[in-house]
Amino acid sequence: MFAFCLPLQVRSTQEPQPDETTNVDTGTRLYGQRCADCHGADAKGFTGPDLTGLWVSGQSDAQVLHAIRFGRPGSIMPSSTAPDEELQAIVEYLKSIGTVPVDWNAPGNIGRGHAIFGAQCQQCHWSGQDGGRLGPDLSRIADTRSRAELAHSIREPSAVIVATYNLVTLVTRDGEEIRGVRKGEDAFSIQIVDVDERLQGYRKAALRSVVVEDESLMPVFGGERLDDGELNDLLKFLGTLRRLGSG
Amino acid sequence: MWVRNFAGIFAVVLLLTLLVSPSWPTAQEPEGQGVTFDDLLSGLTEPAQWLTFSGDYTGQRHSPLMQITTDNVHSLVPEWTFQTGTVTRGRGFETTPLVWDGVLYVTGSNNFAWALDARTGRPFWRYRRDLPNDLTYGASAPVNRGFGMLGDRLFMVTLDAHLLAFDRKTGGVLWDTVLADYQVGYAATAAPLVLEDKVIVGISGGDYPTRGFLDAYDPVSGERLWRFYTVPSPGGPGSDTWPSSDVMERGGGGTWMTGSYDPDLNLVYWGTGNPNPDYYGADRLGDNLYTASIVALDADNGQLEWHYQFTPHDTHDWDSNHVPVIAELDWQGRPRKVVMVANRNGFFYVLDRATGELLLGKPFSDTTWAREIGTDGRPIILNDGSKGCLPDYWGSTNFMPPSFDPARRLFFVTARETCATFIPQEPELVAGQSSFGGVVQVDRTKGYGALRAIDVVTGSRRWEFRYPSPAMAGVMSTAAGLVFAGDNEGNFMAFAADTGQNLWHYQTGSNIHGAAAMTHMLDEKQHVLVASGTTLVSFTLPD
Repeated sequence: MFAFCLPLQVRSTQEPQPDETTNVDTGTRLYGQRCADCHGADAKGFTGPDLTGLWVSGQSDAQVLHAIRFGRPGSIMPSSTAPDEELQAIVEYLKSIGTVPVDWNAPGNIGRGHAIFGAQCQQCHWSGQDGGRLGPDLSRIADTRSRAELAHSIREPSAVIVATYNLVTLVTRDGEEIRGVRKGEDAFSIQIVDVDERLQGYRKAALRSVVVEDESLMPVFGGERLDDGELNDLLKFLGTLRRLGSG
Repeated sequence: MWVRNFAGIFAVVLLLTLLVSPSWPTAQEPEGQGVTFDDLLSGLTEPAQWLTFSGDYTGQRHSPLMQITTDNVHSLVPEWTFQTGTVTRGRGFETTPLVWDGVLYVTGSNNFAWALDARTGRPFWRYRRDLPNDLTYGASAPVNRGFGMLGDRLFMVTLDAHLLAFDRKTGGVLWDTVLADYQVGYAATAAPLVLEDKVIVGISGGDYPTRGFLDAYDPVSGERLWRFYTVPSPGGPGSDTWPSSDVMERGGGGTWMTGSYDPDLNLVYWGTGNPNPDYYGADRLGDNLYTASIVALDADNGQLEWHYQFTPHDTHDWDSNHVPVIAELDWQGRPRKVVMVANRNGFFYVLDRATGELLLGKPFSDTTWAREIGTDGRPIILNDGSKGCLPDYWGSTNFMPPSFDPARRLFFVTARETCATFIPQEPELVAGQSSFGGVVQVDRTKGYGALRAIDVVTGSRRWEFRYPSPAMAGVMSTAAGLVFAGDNEGNFMAFAADTGQNLWHYQTGSNIHGAAAMTHMLDEKQHVLVASGTTLVSFTLPD
């Protein structure tokens, strides 16, 4: 029940207010100047965390404002001395993009979707208590990604690859090929999770080649593999993967 | 135990003796008045010292030390690590330590400072400034790049825009002079450049509605001796490159990176920063002198001798706050006194440092902004941003020091290849508030960094070594044919100057940001130091 209340609450905060448009515009500008370097131009995270899931994960306006004002102790997130109106504008902007559209009411069968997830996705994606670790953790994916974004990622997984999920192929001096997902790299080494989910670091000096693929490790789920009905079922199930508890 | 007690008693006796005999020199300390102007002039030719930000007045950051070589550098090991205990949010530990008589003098983020035993990294004293909680630019970049020193005095600028003098033996503050009002947007971060009888200091704050300047202070009294404004006064030379006096009053032009000095010409060379607002240029039409330029000033009075503007009417935050590198070059058959700059705008420049004449200007990066300098000395702009991405606001390189090997005539610079879209917007100009004037979107998937060696006579690239992401670490080279550099992934590295071959690397655990290495001899061993994250590490060859 709560899961259905939450997006409605969120939705209500998005209702346009008479003077809110200006505030969001101001916030967009200020965000670009002060926040985007670390949190990414789209606020989905760069060196700093993804900010698009704050409200749906239970943060309030006051908590977000407090974080901007006082920073995050122990992190590089600084405090701010900017006027309250400016910080409030950034909060309004984040709220405007940090809420996932409530489009999970589209048709679909959760039970069938769960079965498809178990058969097709769970091998690589963690959800709740189990699953694979090669792909992103989907336990709360509905909090931060819209139905449309997920549908797009399923049909065209290589269109947008999150930075730490690039597929790499390493070839050792002995000619052995190792495939995995790149987690880190510097001039002399690379850190991957290989397809057996082993966290492995390699010195480049011990490798013949390092090839970063353009394609995602995730297979393309086109219509022949997952028809529109099955996609709807799967999305219906993914829509249930969200934070439970305080909101 | 007995030994410890004995040592303790001895220390107490020694301390008492020192207290009652204030004129008694300590065992290793030279007699006299500490660091002299002659010591500063001798620069790196004296192997046990590093007395100014770049090692000497040339800005070459090139050491004659030869103990660590291309053959043995692979065995370089850390001998100690010093932890600062202070973090730098979003930036780096950007200092270059000074060393004198076995003691390192080090500044850190948030205006911490220390005197450290160069043998062990253990502190003699620590200083921490009680900073106000309403810093402006200083809050966003709480960094410091180092001390200057003369006599027994150390000089450090602060995030609330003061200049302090310390007693090097105690860390006690001798005087405290206000440079500017930090609440308007000013701050200070650069290592002072100390001349015979002047302390030259620059100012930060060009991203705020401020007016940049370069100051000279009396080392003994702290009184200001002269000030050069990087944005002219109404009616003065260069004022016709601005639309109005009120725009000039907040025209930017910070001086936040240490300059160089030619004692023979008695000229100080200093880079100037972006005009303000950074990205929005519609209300400051004109070239906006002397922003994004190099200025040559008479050291006696701060009078402008010549200037060269690298980026007229900059709208990309391409400050020219670089260490100007001075050298004597054989130029088309005759000796020339030159000054060299690898600029944030992507070009490498060689200028005659007596006259300011442009001798060479060639791109060292893949910038699409311009590919050549016209006969009038101005860049021929090909892409103002409307034809695809430009180098980002941190440019094709930045303030991290380059180095120059005069024997090989190679200039080593950390280059950044990036792709950014600039979206200017008219800012609201409020004192104490930043006024970038727009938003910049950086395509993070397209960037990389590289250490590049530039042939200074032709401007062509001799070699490069690529890093996975755009780097911000400085460079130091040595006469042994070594180049020490760092990257954004945290590696501190040594390369062969002739080929660019990587010979050694050490993972410091944090991106190396702004800092460049320094080196010195101590106990007949060569040591190499670099600041990274919250640590300062001293490396040497094993016994």
